[in-house]
Amino acid sequence: MSDPQNEILMFQVGPRVFAAEVYDVVRIGTVRDVAAENLILDSILGVPFGRERGLVVGGQGDAAERTLVIDQVIGIRGVGADDLHALPPFAAAVMPSGAVTGFVMIDEVPTLLVDLPTLIRERQPAAAAAHAS
Amino acid sequence: MAASQFLSSGSADSDPATQKGGAGDAWFFCLRILGGRYGFEAPLVTEVVRLGPLTRLPAAPSFLPGVFTHRGEVLPVLDIGQLVGQSALPIRPSTRAAIVHCGPWKVAVVSESVEGLVAVPRRAIEPPPAESTGVAEFLSAVARDRNGSIAILDLPRLVEAARNRAVPAGSAGA
Repeated sequence: MSDPQNEILMFQVGPRVFAAEVYDVVRIGTVRDVAAENLILDSILGVPFGRERGLVVGGQGDAAERTLVIDQVIGIRGVGADDLHALPPFAAAVMPSGAVTGFVMIDEVPTLLVDLPTLIRERQPAAAAAHAS
Repeated sequence: MAASQFLSSGSADSDPATQKGGAGDAWFFCLRILGGRYGFEAPLVTEVVRLGPLTRLPAAPSFLPGVFTHRGEVLPVLDIGQLVGQSALPIRPSTRAAIVHCGPWKVAVVSESVEGLVAVPRRAIEPPPAESTGVAEFLSAVARDRNGSIAILDLPRLVEAARNRAVPAGSAGA
């Protein structure tokens, strides 16, 4: 077993558990006071059961912070490089989204590793359009 | 066991029906998909495995039902039925898949059952039908042995078509 080298945040959206790099998350908080245009309620990760908590992700450049609504944070785990797997090349080539970058092996089960900044960026046009309407 | 290893071993314990290959024979790895017999060039197939639990990928195209781990490696599953617009193959823990290396890609082609290596005399191999729809689009030849016909899939073309259908033109390198 390799030494933990990467800190991974585990979180749940709907029935599924996902993982993300800890440093992609600015903070974890309530979504109550977040403006609707900065909330991401549904994404390729699915729709959360509730609307209580969110992961705040920094925008690139002048872009505002966005909050991905989640159901719960499960915790932070240190994982070794051996436990991180990139998306297989064929899967990467045919996936319409670049937000799923690979897997973290947690107890020998592959958990999807999500690139939160990419997820936010890909979701922005739809969110902006919804807000405009 | 890798098909190429299987070929070179010439095992006497193996099924004679699939091992009587002459110098004029072509070797194919045969799977049952969509109720038919489909063959792949034998060297492309390296292993046959039982699918473990699948991890589904969000927003993935229907022909990519998920990934699974095999000997510590995460492998994508390719459902040819979905790719060619027919019904999906039922995936259960007992479902078997052929692991296929195709250029830079390594995929597990899901099947209803595995027939194994088949030797076909080259004279019994014919060009594919002229149709350009459904699975016929991806055939490189049609072979015939004592058990009937085998549609020989052009896997490089199949995988390339999967990529082209999933990725809009001009964004493949993005």
